[in-house]
Amino acid sequence: MNMNNLKVFLNGLIKENPTFVLLLGMCPTLGTTSSAINGMSMGLATTFVLICSNVVIALLRNLIPDKVHIPAYIVVIASFVTAVQMIMQAYLPDLYKTLGLFIPLIVVNCIILGRAEAFAAKNGAVPSFFDGLGMGLGFTLALTLLGALRELLGTGTFFGFSVLPASTNMLVFVLAPGAFITLGFLIAIFNAINAKKG
Amino acid sequence: MKRLKSSFKNMVLVLTIISLVAAGLLAIINRVTQGPIDAITAENQALGIKAVLDLEPADSIICTTDTAENGTIIFHVCRADGTSAGTAVEAADGQGFGGEIKVLVGFAENGDIKGYQVMQHSETPGLGARANEWFRTATSANTKEVSPVSKLFFGNPDPAGSHNIIGMNPGKSNFTVSKDGGEVDAITASTITSRAFLRTVQNAYYAFMGSTAADAVSGATTQADEGDASTEVVNE
Repeated sequence: MNMNNLKVFLNGLIKENPTFVLLLGMCPTLGTTSSAINGMSMGLATTFVLICSNVVIALLRNLIPDKVHIPAYIVVIASFVTAVQMIMQAYLPDLYKTLGLFIPLIVVNCIILGRAEAFAAKNGAVPSFFDGLGMGLGFTLALTLLGALRELLGTGTFFGFSVLPASTNMLVFVLAPGAFITLGFLIAIFNAINAKKG
Repeated sequence: MKRLKSSFKNMVLVLTIISLVAAGLLAIINRVTQGPIDAITAENQALGIKAVLDLEPADSIICTTDTAENGTIIFHVCRADGTSAGTAVEAADGQGFGGEIKVLVGFAENGDIKGYQVMQHSETPGLGARANEWFRTATSANTKEVSPVSKLFFGNPDPAGSHNIIGMNPGKSNFTVSKDGGEVDAITASTITSRAFLRTVQNAYYAFMGSTAADAVSGATTQADEGDASTEVVNE
């Protein structure tokens, strides 16, 4: 990995973290993070689709006429999502049970189309791969963190292991309002850290 | 390399080729994954049937299924040696809080509920999603008064009352939530889910009672007349 690719990778992971900085893809962020494992799985599924679509779109970027680039990208992204859904259903049925509902939503996750437009359409396959990896892992990190906090406060467990007594459970964190509250605090913390770094 | 010009020919050609390649790849993946997906669905159903009828997961069972017009499926379950192991009914209700609820219910011969399993739902996690446990757990006693603020953050305390439906007979008891004058306590803060769940179980019960009545009639006429029943081996 040369310096440039590393920079692209870290840019997605931290500096332009899709959830905390770019504020992209809020629908799956809020919808799937009721537990740490759900958030992480959703993040990893998105990462996989993001890397694949970024690489394919970077390879095809000069073959796709400008006027039809959006439909062409959508076909590529939707195909990968459908493939992920079928493979997950066949080989990871337990995960599919919890995430099945959200997988088709990856198609319309604006991170993926956003990165295809903003990065893959202008760069080669290798940097696009690292952009997809960085952005995807940044998204995964954010979702896992959000899911872990909501799970801990809402149900007193951490990745399914009981750590807090049931009397401290705050139901609101499992529900939608808790997702907004937690996300708000995390974004504030992330911004504060970024601001300090300059 | 220069980007292709947006001429009509180029656009049609590129989109057609991309779509064809994508469709071809998906067709291949579909063919590869179809087998495992079907196997998992069948296995889940077999495990569910065994769970609601108190059978061991290792038992091998053979099912004859009847499908009603509204999609309710009745499984007449036999053990490998041919003796009857009971009847399980899979019924669905579209009026849950988050959409369709599908429940598999096992019945004793007299219509008492032997067990149930929620097969599919989209209810709220932490609330309606507890249906799979709630209706089989015994009475809980919690009569402490709580403030509205605490209710918002911690949820309502579980009320004292009966919400265990195992052993109940939907035909002989008032099978609705206590808010509607029934005998079953709804899940705390999830009355809609509870109503839909009880309705589903009730539908399963009616399908079960209908099927046993029909069996008695067809048994009296000819053994060969099985209607549109199909036999399949669910698990070896």
